[in-house]
Amino acid sequence: MRNPLNNRTFRELKSNAGKYIGLLCIILTVITIGSAFMVCLDGTSYSLSKSDEINLTEDGYFETFFPVKAETTDWFKDNNIRLVENFYKTIDNYDDHATILVFNNRTQIDIPILIENGNYVVTSENDWSHVPALKNDEIALDRVFAKANGLNFGDTVTLYGISYKIAAFTAFPDYTSLFKSNKDLLMNTTDFGIAMLSEEGYDRLPGDIQTLRYSYRFEKQLSKTETDDLNKEILNRLVSGGEAVSEFLPRESNQSISFLATDMGKDGPTVEIFIFLLLVIVAFVFAIIVTNMVEKEASVIGTLRSLGFTRWEMVLHYLRPTIIVTFVAAIVGNLLGYTVMIKPFLDMYTTSYCIPPMVISFSFKAILVTTVVPIVTMLVINVLVLSNKLSLSPLKFLRKDLKHGKQKKAMKLPDWSFLTRFRIRVILQNMGSYLILFIGIFLSGLLLVFGLGLGPLMDNYVDGIDKSLPYEYQYVLKAVPGDVGGEKVTMQPVETHFDFAKKDIEISFIGVDEDSEIFSNFKKSDNKSELVITSPLAKKLKLKIGDTLTVTDTYNKKDYTFTVKDIAEYDAAMGAIFTRSLLNELIDKEPDYYNSLVSNTKLDVPDAYIAKFITRSDMLGAAKQMLSSFDVIIKLFNVFSVAIALILMYILTNTVIEKNSLYISYMKVFGYDEKEVSRLYLRATTITVMVALFISLPLQALSFKAMMDVISSMIDGYISFYIPIKVYVEIILIGALSYFAINRFNYGKVKKIKMSDALKTRE
Amino acid sequence: MKLKVNNIHKFYGEGLSRVEVLKGIDCEINEGEICVLLGPSGSGKSTLLNIIGGIESADEGCVDIGDSCTDKMTEKELTSYRRNNLGFVFQFYNLVPNLTVKENIEVCAYLAKDPLDINELLKTLGLYEHRDKLPSQLSGGQQQRCAIGRALVKNPSVLLCDEPTGALDYNTSKEILALIQRVNRKYHNTIIIVTHNDAIKGMANRVLRLHDGKILKNIVNDTQTEASDLEW
Repeated sequence: MRNPLNNRTFRELKSNAGKYIGLLCIILTVITIGSAFMVCLDGTSYSLSKSDEINLTEDGYFETFFPVKAETTDWFKDNNIRLVENFYKTIDNYDDHATILVFNNRTQIDIPILIENGNYVVTSENDWSHVPALKNDEIALDRVFAKANGLNFGDTVTLYGISYKIAAFTAFPDYTSLFKSNKDLLMNTTDFGIAMLSEEGYDRLPGDIQTLRYSYRFEKQLSKTETDDLNKEILNRLVSGGEAVSEFLPRESNQSISFLATDMGKDGPTVEIFIFLLLVIVAFVFAIIVTNMVEKEASVIGTLRSLGFTRWEMVLHYLRPTIIVTFVAAIVGNLLGYTVMIKPFLDMYTTSYCIPPMVISFSFKAILVTTVVPIVTMLVINVLVLSNKLSLSPLKFLRKDLKHGKQKKAMKLPDWSFLTRFRIRVILQNMGSYLILFIGIFLSGLLLVFGLGLGPLMDNYVDGIDKSLPYEYQYVLKAVPGDVGGEKVTMQPVETHFDFAKKDIEISFIGVDEDSEIFSNFKKSDNKSELVITSPLAKKLKLKIGDTLTVTDTYNKKDYTFTVKDIAEYDAAMGAIFTRSLLNELIDKEPDYYNSLVSNTKLDVPDAYIAKFITRSDMLGAAKQMLSSFDVIIKLFNVFSVAIALILMYILTNTVIEKNSLYISYMKVFGYDEKEVSRLYLRATTITVMVALFISLPLQALSFKAMMDVISSMIDGYISFYIPIKVYVEIILIGALSYFAINRFNYGKVKKIKMSDALKTRE
Repeated sequence: MKLKVNNIHKFYGEGLSRVEVLKGIDCEINEGEICVLLGPSGSGKSTLLNIIGGIESADEGCVDIGDSCTDKMTEKELTSYRRNNLGFVFQFYNLVPNLTVKENIEVCAYLAKDPLDINELLKTLGLYEHRDKLPSQLSGGQQQRCAIGRALVKNPSVLLCDEPTGALDYNTSKEILALIQRVNRKYHNTIIIVTHNDAIKGMANRVLRLHDGKILKNIVNDTQTEASDLEW
């Protein structure tokens, strides 16, 4: 025979529909977003690994001023490394703003995948195809750059006065993220693009804008250590072989390839932890609701237990609403995740990253995280709470004596006013609900900090660079051009170990003239054993004056240890400032050596001498672009966080009222009016919510700072933690307004409690 | 305070299931009287008490309280009437479980303009030693004494007691009734006690015997039995 108690489950769901719908909404949203995100993440990850195999993604590249010698090519061949000419021509100022790297036809390495119009999702990598052979007046353009610049199939792109017709949109495996320079903190999809021409088409462009890039790929699978060792060996071989290397970048250090994978690697666990935390909160909210129900129905439980129902039958009975709600949320959430919600996440990835059409398939991990984990979390927490609650004897239930162990004593309170003591008693009585409410407010606020704080943070970052950058133009030189004006600077990349991220990072030693006008505001190190480091480096490595720093000059294979003498507020660089003569001496160069020119006016440097030309706007322009790609997600975060706060506040404050409804009814009988009753019971909640809002602010700020530290550890630069007071005020206001909306509702609920409830005969 | 109950009718339910629980109740209860409302379950005594207490409204008729009448009072005036004039004692004490004994009494002291001294009252009730305990740490009799203290602290002119001994044993019941009698003598408040225990009628100045929504008998006792001498 079917258990007749089961009929109560749907009645319970119906009679407390508000609460269960609220919880269903939270779980549903968590699961929908989680499932869409994980499917996207899995798809991207799978597509990247397949792209690696199919499109032969490089393991690294180097650029030289002159073609490599035959002996070098032979060395690569002997060492089982495929070395391919991957030459490109740099188109500066395309459409007055953009830089395009135009590559010669690629067939042996980093082969681009064709992306047909809007076809960003496929079911298998077999649906991918490579770019068909281009005619000499055709160009294949990076899809993300083309989209950001409103370029369509068939449009004409004019480079150096030569017209090319867009014949294909593509994804280049070595440029999944469009970083113009590897030192850039942000991608720039509007101002930086990649293109490919046929060999004939490529030859039509002037030769002097060509950079000699050589890409290599290991022919056999190597471990990480073997890869690192081989990369070092390659660099050594190039230097010892007398190659004029201007840049050497193994794949792992190349942000354009590795950023997406690293980003996903960090996003995955973050989202999983967040999903889990929210589920735990919801599980405890369920536990609070069910515990209240058990307390309310104590005599019924006592009777049923006396009649022979076992404890586990009762546990299972009270678990049913929780499991039904979670199960429905998991099924519907996954369906919505795969169908509706996947779109904004796909958009986020496809607007920011240039990846092959994503292979979307059934994700076992997504199912595990968004179905099994929620149900198990709810089961474990609620079974533990319920089995403990229901472990008392039937007699205790019949007597409504639901205390475990010794009888509870009243906490002694100081001789404060009656109202204050009353509210403290309400808070003590509802500690569990208030604790969960606090965690909910903290988490939703954290989302809000992220949603509202990211914009100002990036603005502050850009502003810091803008304010501290002392020059307008920088020319990185291939060769010394003679007297063209500007200030001479020696830039030397060196490496140092970054303990937090357990990896070596590249920093810049900047040598400037002692009497430099441009750098006159910055202190310079003039002692071989001392360093004046820039503030981003100090913050990233948590260095103070007096600390020591060891760096490695990878080109000259030398280690140096310095004491930090001072910190220069120079946000635009991550490194240390020296007098030029001292830095030249340190790196064994002539006293007057320099490899860069900086100036506040444009210099007349012949193109042949320029390796790189960087303007102030190059360094600043990317941030807004980056933010716009996060726009949808940020809005989603804001809406989601307010929704969580509202739902949790609604359910938990309601629980407090329901738990005390009988006593509220007594108060009315005694002569308290509704406002006074609200002052007694609702004010306690108001105080808790306000305290939670204020206490969680610094905790949210600390968590956000920790997140920024992690993000900074992934990138070459450092983003300083910054949240303007305005954001804190907004968070408090949003929290308080949400609460007061709920409070209005609760006031209505208090009003509805009848006095006659107090008079019903009860035991 | 003198209470005058005028032709009270009260109905519950609607349509065919509509039941008249009070069928035209008329009575007067004088200031300082102990009035016992006697009757079996369903006779309407608790409903009458609730109407007198302004907790329920009558469908017809009204209760005259001094110069005003309950049927003309707004919700606010009824609250103020309960707040300034009434004290309630319930069968199952209805103490707030997370407040101490003293704090439970303070709940009503907070409402009064001139409350009785709480410590004095606690001593009178024999609860001073237990003032910092929670209701769950008290016996039934102690809990009911606390409930009486809560009702008394406002020094109300009318004390309404709904089956105040209904959940207590014989000896504790007598102790509570004696306390109510002492209170009446000390503070001269009008006390209405709803009970189905016939023996209690002896301590009353007036006994209203209800049956099926009507007053069968309105008896005035010339002499009152000491509560300690009541037997059942």
